[in-house]
Amino acid sequence: MKKAVIIFILIAFVPAFLYADMRPMETIKIPIDEGMKILTDPKYKDPSLKKVQREKIWDVVRKVFDFTELGGRTLATNWKNFSPDQRKEFTEVFSEILGNAYLDKIQGAYKDEKVEYVGKEMITDSKAIVKTKIVRKKGEILVDYSMKLKDNSWKVYDVQAEGISLVQNYRSQFNEILVKESPDDLIKRLHKKLEEQQKTDKK
Amino acid sequence: MRLYGNKIFMNRFTAIIIFYAAFIVFMAAPSAYSSPDVLLPGYGSESIMETGKEPLPELLIAARSDYSDKDYMDDDPDFLKEEAREEVIRIADPLYYWNKGMFHFNDKLYFWFLKPVATAYRAVIPRMVRTGVHNFFYNLEMPVRFVNCILQAKFEAAGNEFARFIVNSTEGILGFDNPAKNYPELKNGDEDMGQTFATYGIGNGFYIVWPFLGPSTLRDTFGMAGDRFLKPVSYIEPLEVSLGVTGFRMINATSLKIGDYEEFKKAALEPYEGLRNAYIQNRQKKVRE
Repeated sequence: MKKAVIIFILIAFVPAFLYADMRPMETIKIPIDEGMKILTDPKYKDPSLKKVQREKIWDVVRKVFDFTELGGRTLATNWKNFSPDQRKEFTEVFSEILGNAYLDKIQGAYKDEKVEYVGKEMITDSKAIVKTKIVRKKGEILVDYSMKLKDNSWKVYDVQAEGISLVQNYRSQFNEILVKESPDDLIKRLHKKLEEQQKTDKK
Repeated sequence: MRLYGNKIFMNRFTAIIIFYAAFIVFMAAPSAYSSPDVLLPGYGSESIMETGKEPLPELLIAARSDYSDKDYMDDDPDFLKEEAREEVIRIADPLYYWNKGMFHFNDKLYFWFLKPVATAYRAVIPRMVRTGVHNFFYNLEMPVRFVNCILQAKFEAAGNEFARFIVNSTEGILGFDNPAKNYPELKNGDEDMGQTFATYGIGNGFYIVWPFLGPSTLRDTFGMAGDRFLKPVSYIEPLEVSLGVTGFRMINATSLKIGDYEEFKKAALEPYEGLRNAYIQNRQKKVRE
């Protein structure tokens, strides 16, 4: 009887968003674990299947990222100088660059590695940091995901590896460019970077 | 020092300056190329990627459909307001031209010298041995971490460093193995004198890139100079041997992370700014710990 009362109280007072969607930790767990499963799946051992594997991983990963917000945060106040079309193009190219750079790395390295979930920190009801640890032979890497509740689902808008925020790092680079150049120039440079990446991928 | 008499001391002093140059080489691998390592977690240093010709176009089109256009119309989205309140890390860079020159020097040093040599070395020496060598040098530098823990009044951490040293030097055979990792309560820190200065309230000063050594700041440079006295390798004589040991260590360290720096450059639009920012952010985090 006592138990039933406690359960009733819990149900009555737990905020609605807990039902509406999963909590941040669970949200990030699913794509990471699923990604790891694809990575370790022996059926992708054949090098010719690397591309298929990569697309599968990207498919899983991108669902949990909010690239609009991530990209917007790297632009910071420069966002105001971008037209809606430029913002859109910027976000698209930038997310492709990130995908390219990071999927390579993930595919190359996570094979013998493990991801541990260290904990979670709720900043507000709609913002949280999920702390993880990549355990590898060479040592551990702390990776924190900044997440935000948007339209009822938790999305990642920044990643911090060993204290280095992805958003802040790109912001410093974009700032450097945007001090001297226009939004269009930045977008052009992003396209060029993407081409470069594709060229080295072919090698 | 009195033991040696004045003249010999002077010679020793000169030697120490030269050691310092050696020390710079010695440090190059952990500092110049470790920032990209932390910037990009988890990428492989040992694997050669087989990637497709086109970078997942179909999927990206699918990704695009996720973006709602209304987000792009918003001139003052919430995240801008949030961001305005965030702490921004800035670093003065008055030596910009020198630093940029040294950045390019280190870049070429890596691609033209370190990488080819380390690649050959990697082909001959098994990974287990290379990791052992890496552990050995890390263990040898216990005094740096231990003393800096004490200076920061982190006595528990100092005890852990000491205990790790004992375990790894005995059970781990002179530090080649790392059995201390089986005792999770013995956490290893990464304290150095730059961090000690920071806990005393000394700021970064400005950014400075050293040849061989990589990114640093004024404060961290003084820190490294201090740490040098706590490193056994600094006391090896004659100089040739010390330099040799230093060079060997650098090649060994590089062999364990070939590919990391390339990946960093692949992700960056402005590698110089990217590395500078990564260095400062990473140091900030270490100071906080």
